[in-house]
Amino acid sequence: MKPRIPTILFVLAAVAATLFAAVSTYDFVQHLDRQLHGIHCSFVPGLGALDATGSSGCHAALMSPWSSVLRKAIWGGIPIALPGLAVYAFLLFRGLDLWLNRREGSRNATVFLFMASLLPVVTSIAMGVIAVGLIGEVCKLCVGMYVSSFVMAGTALWLWLASRKAPAEAGDGEGVVKPHVLSAIEGVGFVLLSVLVYVMLVPDASGYVGTCGSLKKPQDPYGVMVPLDANPSEKTMIEVMDPLCPACRGFSRRFEASGLGEAVHRVALLMPLDDTCNWMVSSAVHPGACAVSEAVLCAGDQATAVFDWAFEHQEEIREAATQDPAKAAEMVKAAFPAVASCVGSPAVRSKVNKSLRWAVANQLPVLQPQVFVEGVRLCDEDTDLGMDFALSRLIEGRIAAEKKEEGK
Amino acid sequence: MNAVVHAGLGVACLLVPTALVGAWTVSASNRIAEESGAGSDVAVAAAADEGYCTADLRKVLRRVLQSCGLQSSGEVRGCKPNDAKSVATMSGEDFNALFRPLADRAGIIQFDLDSSVLDPADIALLDKQFADQRGASWFLVVARASPEGSELHNQKLSQARGQAVLDHLRRTFTDPDLDKEVGLLWLGEEFAQLDAEFCTWPRSGAAEECSSKELNRSAFVTWIDCRI
Repeated sequence: MKPRIPTILFVLAAVAATLFAAVSTYDFVQHLDRQLHGIHCSFVPGLGALDATGSSGCHAALMSPWSSVLRKAIWGGIPIALPGLAVYAFLLFRGLDLWLNRREGSRNATVFLFMASLLPVVTSIAMGVIAVGLIGEVCKLCVGMYVSSFVMAGTALWLWLASRKAPAEAGDGEGVVKPHVLSAIEGVGFVLLSVLVYVMLVPDASGYVGTCGSLKKPQDPYGVMVPLDANPSEKTMIEVMDPLCPACRGFSRRFEASGLGEAVHRVALLMPLDDTCNWMVSSAVHPGACAVSEAVLCAGDQATAVFDWAFEHQEEIREAATQDPAKAAEMVKAAFPAVASCVGSPAVRSKVNKSLRWAVANQLPVLQPQVFVEGVRLCDEDTDLGMDFALSRLIEGRIAAEKKEEGK
Repeated sequence: MNAVVHAGLGVACLLVPTALVGAWTVSASNRIAEESGAGSDVAVAAAADEGYCTADLRKVLRRVLQSCGLQSSGEVRGCKPNDAKSVATMSGEDFNALFRPLADRAGIIQFDLDSSVLDPADIALLDKQFADQRGASWFLVVARASPEGSELHNQKLSQARGQAVLDHLRRTFTDPDLDKEVGLLWLGEEFAQLDAEFCTWPRSGAAEECSSKELNRSAFVTWIDCRI
């Protein structure tokens, strides 16, 4: 029963991958309680300080639209780390089986192990491309899984090649398909059972949709709402936001990836969290946000271009405005010369003020982003992982019973 | 033996994802039940209410807004000197003292002798002051006249000055709330004349022209950051 080196390496890599996937799944499942949680982000799975600020690559990956599937059907969707965990647990099982049942010489067993270990390799490549190309951040836990997957595939290949040199075992080369199909069914069973347990136990969040209040005065008498699209939809979605707010950028990107864009007409209501124009904050949470908000209001048809630019350069604008409050205006004027004469003018400053007064009239909390569909508020807890689930229901008018009663 | 080990390992490894995800999910469900109904401590958007909003200032403001037609009719009607005196129920000096904390918030729009026409410097200061609303709910325009001429003439002159300010704001700022926010008092020469102390406040007049007469050919404008 003395294991060969590749078997040991395979089992160790499978244990590591299982741990990485387990921590990643744990971080996701924690959020099912609709609260904020710190996230593990370390090359040593489960150890290291929790990221409670949302600044880590793991947080960006977890909150991205690619961290789960079926988000419209289930609050948060099914985390892709969960089937990953099941696959790694299955590969661990196959590795241990190879070792403990002394099947390292079996060509059938080793070729299946190699074929099965290619699945996480292909998935790792796909997720790596998404992380770098679309999310723009690399998650340490994910990197741990990628590396473990490659080590498993490499050692499985090593085992298979070694088994081809060894004398054939009974059954090798005969009836190859049947044992491989049975093994594949075992693997699929691991994934299905794990997902089934999750789907059966996941909390039902539909009772919260539409129960977080509504706008008292949704009209726009000041003409300060900024259209974000030209959709002819009769349903209007108001996003109370700030062009320098990272959470608003995150929401905007999730929304654009959600496929819900055609169902509503999006408009923005600016509420810059910057004490240069906002008396409701004692200091600048997002330095420079007042000047950039003025530029959005000055830009007219080009407002979305200003938003896109601001989202893209949020960190550098905030940093520059922290050093010198006038810098944000200079930066936006340089990027959009057409608004240069308007930014800072009494008329646009008054308009920003009217945006803030709209928030006062509706007694909104001073936080961002806030989203309203036809005047009904999307709960703050539903603006990230639960966005697709809750927003699709709000748009369809499928709101919880308490809300309907309240509205009578 | 092989089959038993195989099955045992399979069950053990299958338990890893299923048991873990089951336990974590149930735990999240329990927390969601416990935490539902917990209140939020996030601040709610509200108009400003600064420390200078003393009881006396609030009283005057409330009376001006109610008696001069703002809150009841939703339109600017304004208060003439006699109204203002009865509304304020205090001496002119005490009335002016209420506004002393607003040195950084107010502006004095200075007119030429016997004139109610806004010049470019007046307009620049007025636009600057009005655009700087911040969280304030009320914009007060307190127009005055210097003592030259008859009381009646100066009442009319100060009224015209206040009206000129209001007309300019209506033209310049398309603001549906303007008539509900702007409180207008014209005091003529009879009540609460400004003294030289106000020379250091933001003014539209030339720096060297700041006698009491020049100061009172004016409209004192300010946002008031008080809730009433």
